[in-house]
Amino acid sequence: MQYVIIGSSAAGINAIEAIRSKDKKSKIVVLSDEKTPLYSRCLISYFLAGTIDEKKIWYRSENFFKENKVDTVLGVRAEKIDTDKKEITLANKEKIKFDKLLIATGASAKMESVKGVDKKGVFPLRTIEHALEMQSMLGRVKQVAVLGGGLVGLRAAYALKNRGKEVTVFVRSPQILSQIIDKGSADIMQAHIEEKGIKIKTGSAATEIKGSDSVKNLIIDNRSEYPCELVIIGKGVSPNIAIAKDAGIKTNWGILADGFLKTDNKDIFAAGDVAEAHDIALEENSINAIWPAACEQGRIAGLNMTGEKESYEGSLAMNSLEFFGLPVISIGITKPKKDIYEELIKKDENRKIYKKIVLRNGIIVGAITLNAVETIGILGTLIKNKVDVSAIKDTILEDHFNYGKIVNIVKNSKQGFKQKEFKETTMTL
Amino acid sequence: MKKIYCDIKKCIGCRACEIACAVEHSKSKKLDEAIKERPLPIKRRKAESIEGDVPRSKFPKITEAGNLEWGIVISTGCHHCEDAPCVAACMSSAMYKDKKTGQTKHDEEKCVGCWMCIMSCPFGALSRQKQDKIIVKCDLCPDRDIPACVEACQTAALFLGTEKEFKKKLCNT
Ligand SMILES: Cc1cc2nc3c(=O)[nH]c(=O)nc-3n(C[C@H](O)[C@H](O)[C@H](O)COP(=O)(O)OP(=O)(O)OC[C@H]3O[C@@H](n4cnc5c(N)ncnc54)[C@H](O)[C@@H]3O)c2cc1C
Ligand code: SF4
Ligand code: SF4
Repeated sequence: MQYVIIGSSAAGINAIEAIRSKDKKSKIVVLSDEKTPLYSRCLISYFLAGTIDEKKIWYRSENFFKENKVDTVLGVRAEKIDTDKKEITLANKEKIKFDKLLIATGASAKMESVKGVDKKGVFPLRTIEHALEMQSMLGRVKQVAVLGGGLVGLRAAYALKNRGKEVTVFVRSPQILSQIIDKGSADIMQAHIEEKGIKIKTGSAATEIKGSDSVKNLIIDNRSEYPCELVIIGKGVSPNIAIAKDAGIKTNWGILADGFLKTDNKDIFAAGDVAEAHDIALEENSINAIWPAACEQGRIAGLNMTGEKESYEGSLAMNSLEFFGLPVISIGITKPKKDIYEELIKKDENRKIYKKIVLRNGIIVGAITLNAVETIGILGTLIKNKVDVSAIKDTILEDHFNYGKIVNIVKNSKQGFKQKEFKETTMTL
Repeated sequence: MKKIYCDIKKCIGCRACEIACAVEHSKSKKLDEAIKERPLPIKRRKAESIEGDVPRSKFPKITEAGNLEWGIVISTGCHHCEDAPCVAACMSSAMYKDKKTGQTKHDEEKCVGCWMCIMSCPFGALSRQKQDKIIVKCDLCPDRDIPACVEACQTAALFLGTEKEFKKKLCNT
């Protein structure tokens, strides 16, 4: 048996560990076009901010591949998958055979289609290389423009503010973090970030990036100018599906993965940001391009590659952010579009607290908590287990909501809460 | 593995476990000095009322009818889950499983305060230490044979042991 994994980030690494937990002997080959895998991608903005040093960015020890007896081909791109011959062709024309393949090629940063994005000093923030390059030019940067008010854009803005730069974020939509939280919570967060000295311009976008070789200024909304030496593009990501699509593997927005994270080819699996798999709240296939989902999918795909029959329950959109001491966490559907949903909101502007739950037929499908985040994991549990929470729905938004308040629900749930530890808490009730 | 169990039938919500936990995790390990420490030592166990809408800020009291105002109470903390969701979510591998003991451990040095673990813990067992931007959680009191909360529990609701031992204890009492 020869396992091959394309991509060595969250999904790939977890797959290696899962395979090795079942199969100590077979050969595993990992392919990555990054020379430095094994770092935590989520930490690169912390690194850019200077709040952690390079040592902390490693997600596994440097001996990881050796300890797990993994052969690596690093810094070379996989170009083609031949599904008949079960063979991969690399950019250097080398060919590698596989019996079971995992495609964990993740996602790439979307680039803005505005004129001038090819100038020096314009970056996405997706890899450690991007962070290192930006870091090396910080000495001559005074003003920074961030295009996009999503998670990565704002993390980058925060990082550069922390480095003493003047930062302005241009957000096309009327609110920041529009993919993650609702306007009510976003407005509180935006005011807080602005109080701390980052400028945010919602409803405005760059129409051109100007400069001879390096960026000098931006044209905003075809009108005003904004001088800057560094531009960061935070326009979200798109899954790296080309290699799968060209091989005839079924794709949609991402690579379609079934309840075992298998593609439509029985020997090829997909996991992580590239995989389009079941979403628990939406009850359909979707991509949740987040770290915990990539880890779990990698683990389950890895197990199934060894012949296990581990089913995948699906993922939930979830994100955790903190800016200048104000945390916000969201899970599931937070901005419902149809009226079959019920929304309950509690807001306390003085304490900068905002909580919201979204329900569908009495079942909680989404939640946002701002500045009162400690108990949101409990809500995630309720979402995953799809239990009727009508009886406690008002308590959920109270300050004193905690695990105790759902013990009865856990105890009485017919289908049973999935994780075994729940039983321990209700054994004596 | 050995961990802390709560017998709900015995817990009266006196919150002695909470105080003992906070004191054990203070610098001085003495209550009178611990309350002066900054940042304030943080408890990793919480007594939580199961029924009724009694705010946590109140201490339990007996109603005129002679019942606990808090109703039924559970003392909870980290359950050291076998497939720990907090470990799976941690982006810096600060949260990890101790391969020998099975405990869920936390490395403060590696923690970046991203709160992904909070987002994932089904029990709300984690707290933020805001000053250093790190997580604190039940560590089963590494400096003691018996965790401080278990020792402090006057009704013997809290128990340290394996699941089997806990079940046996329930049968015998
Ligand atoms: C700055 C930043 C902050 C983030 N913060 C958070 C956060 O707080 N919380 C959260 O949940 N998520 C966060 N994310 C998202 C998270 O990093 C991703 O969800 C996660 O990394 C996905 O892992 P993956 O293994 O699926 O893919 P990736 O991490 O994208 O890795 C895929 C790897 O495959 C390689 N590859 C691709 N194609 C090929 C090929 N043809 N041949 C060889 N190699 C190839 C890529 O170069 C890459 O190394 C953040 C991302 C960024 C950039
Ligand atoms: S912190 Fe929460 S998720 Fe992690 S082991 Fe403890 S109870 Fe389980
Ligand atoms: S807060 Fe710390 S322990 Fe929790 S997920 Fe983030 S880095 Fe890991």
